[in-house]
Amino acid sequence: MSRGARVVLILVALVAVAAVLFWRYGAFPLLPSRGGGQTEFEGPRVADAADVAVPAGYEVEVVAEGLTFPTDVTFDEQGNVYVLEAGYSYGEVFTVPRLLRVSADGGKDVVAEGESGPWNGVAYSDGSFYVAGKDGDFGAILRVTTTGEVTTVLGGLPSLGDHHTNAATMGPDGQIYFGQGTATNAGVVGTDNHAFGWLERHPDFHDVPCDDVTLAGLNYQTENPLTDADDNVTTGAYRPFGTASTSDQVISGAMPCNGAIMRIEPEGGEPELVAWGFRNPYGLAFAPTGELYVVNNSYDERGSRPVYGTGDLLYRVEEGAWYGWPDFHGDLQLDDEDRFGHATAPAPETLLSRHPGSPPAPAAVLTVHSSSNGMSFSTSEVFGHVGAVFIAQLGDMAPQVGKVAMPAGFKVVRVDPDTGVVIDFMVNRDPSGPASYTGTAGLERPISAKFSPDGSELYVVDFGVMTMSEQGPAPREGTGVVWRVVPAGGGAP
Amino acid sequence: MSRRRAGQRTASALVAATALVLAGCGSPYRGEPLGTAPALDTQAQVDGRALFDRYCSECHPGGAAGLAPGINNKPLPGWLVRAQVRLGMGAMPPFSRETISAVELDAIVAYVLELKK
Repeated sequence: MSRGARVVLILVALVAVAAVLFWRYGAFPLLPSRGGGQTEFEGPRVADAADVAVPAGYEVEVVAEGLTFPTDVTFDEQGNVYVLEAGYSYGEVFTVPRLLRVSADGGKDVVAEGESGPWNGVAYSDGSFYVAGKDGDFGAILRVTTTGEVTTVLGGLPSLGDHHTNAATMGPDGQIYFGQGTATNAGVVGTDNHAFGWLERHPDFHDVPCDDVTLAGLNYQTENPLTDADDNVTTGAYRPFGTASTSDQVISGAMPCNGAIMRIEPEGGEPELVAWGFRNPYGLAFAPTGELYVVNNSYDERGSRPVYGTGDLLYRVEEGAWYGWPDFHGDLQLDDEDRFGHATAPAPETLLSRHPGSPPAPAAVLTVHSSSNGMSFSTSEVFGHVGAVFIAQLGDMAPQVGKVAMPAGFKVVRVDPDTGVVIDFMVNRDPSGPASYTGTAGLERPISAKFSPDGSELYVVDFGVMTMSEQGPAPREGTGVVWRVVPAGGGAP
Repeated sequence: MSRRRAGQRTASALVAATALVLAGCGSPYRGEPLGTAPALDTQAQVDGRALFDRYCSECHPGGAAGLAPGINNKPLPGWLVRAQVRLGMGAMPPFSRETISAVELDAIVAYVLELKK
């Protein structure tokens, strides 16, 4: 063989090897993350409806600006608009949780203030507001009167971790339904929870299942950020940080629990379990049929048990069912190496030796890391799309939650719960990311979408600017906005 | 699987890999708010959209980039799209016939090709 032929052969071999490596591992390990928060923001935030796009036949308006960490909106019998400010944001920024009345000119009057946040969701019924919030360190359902008196309907909820008490929602049965998030990403307390900030404050906190579960006995070794020493600790599922689990160990279920939907009478009493096995059931809404739906924030690629590639899921809630956390994504088990791992991170092993049930299939699959949150169903022919659910997507928190190729979320989607079809409804005119990412004056981080009482207008709560860096989230106070989408000309398109 | 068929699949995957690199992440947006939603003229495309939203949109929302690169401007013919779905690539998992049937994959490809227009 001539020298030239040998060179060609070697080159062909090298190209073939490179191509096979690319096929096997792809470009994922090499590409940088391009999350929507991975940008600079100088401020001030400007909100301009002209930079927001909705389908033909609809118009966008700005209702209120200058809000600090708004999370939800509700309405009284007169159609007055009330917006909730959380009083806390990821990034460990603590402010005062508030309920504000918004006037037609965008003015804001304080109805009530709380002592600790986050206040994540609010419903109005029969002269009272019901807030998914906090009482002291713990999660709570609060009642707020129109004169601003705050009392606790239910306290002691396990909201000391990554995820909190969400989405106080009035059911057709007159009970308050709410979601309770998990302490952790995937069942194991780790250094990611220290980065969140809460592990330092509550070093013994961990997830509590709603019913007894039996562990496989898997343990995870990490450094110990709670000490100055160069030491490591071993932590098991459903155990405090630094406490190992054993094979066939039974973790007792208890109420209230993590990763669940619960309900309670407006007068208080003991909470009742509706369904469990969720990670962060953030959005709850009743369909016109009376069926309860939930949108569940799926796993992140972080911590001791990172999970790759799990989009948020919309479910039609089956009473009493177990929805799979911490071992399933939808009805798929997580130990599928092809699906939930990649070249630099293996798929997680199964934590439970016996599963409490077979998780139901989702009604719709939403974008990975989109943080699909507050939602409501259209019930009005005036607005149109009756029976569809409109879901606000806060947008990714990359790189903290994992890497993304481009910003994910930062919009409102319309979902057909029967077919699972997901259609964008409200996006930025430059749809490649939040306004702070694209240098425009459109949406930042939509966190709730709620229809007015007559169903003719869709209110979209925009949490505001939250940039991300390797050090974590940097939320900006005073950048929250409430938007409104109305049919152009007053009728359905 | 025959050696010849395996070779064809490997070749398909190599071409797909090259095309992916060329395509990059900057996929054009397709959606109702900007008046760029794909026109679904056939039942296969309508079925394909629902299947795409179940299996693909999680990482390629509306065909644009998200967790994974966008595919709306991916310069691949249908048979290479099929090959990538069956074989997977890098962080993208393979989807077997048990998960996505041949008929369903045809519908997904019909929709994906419409997304490119």
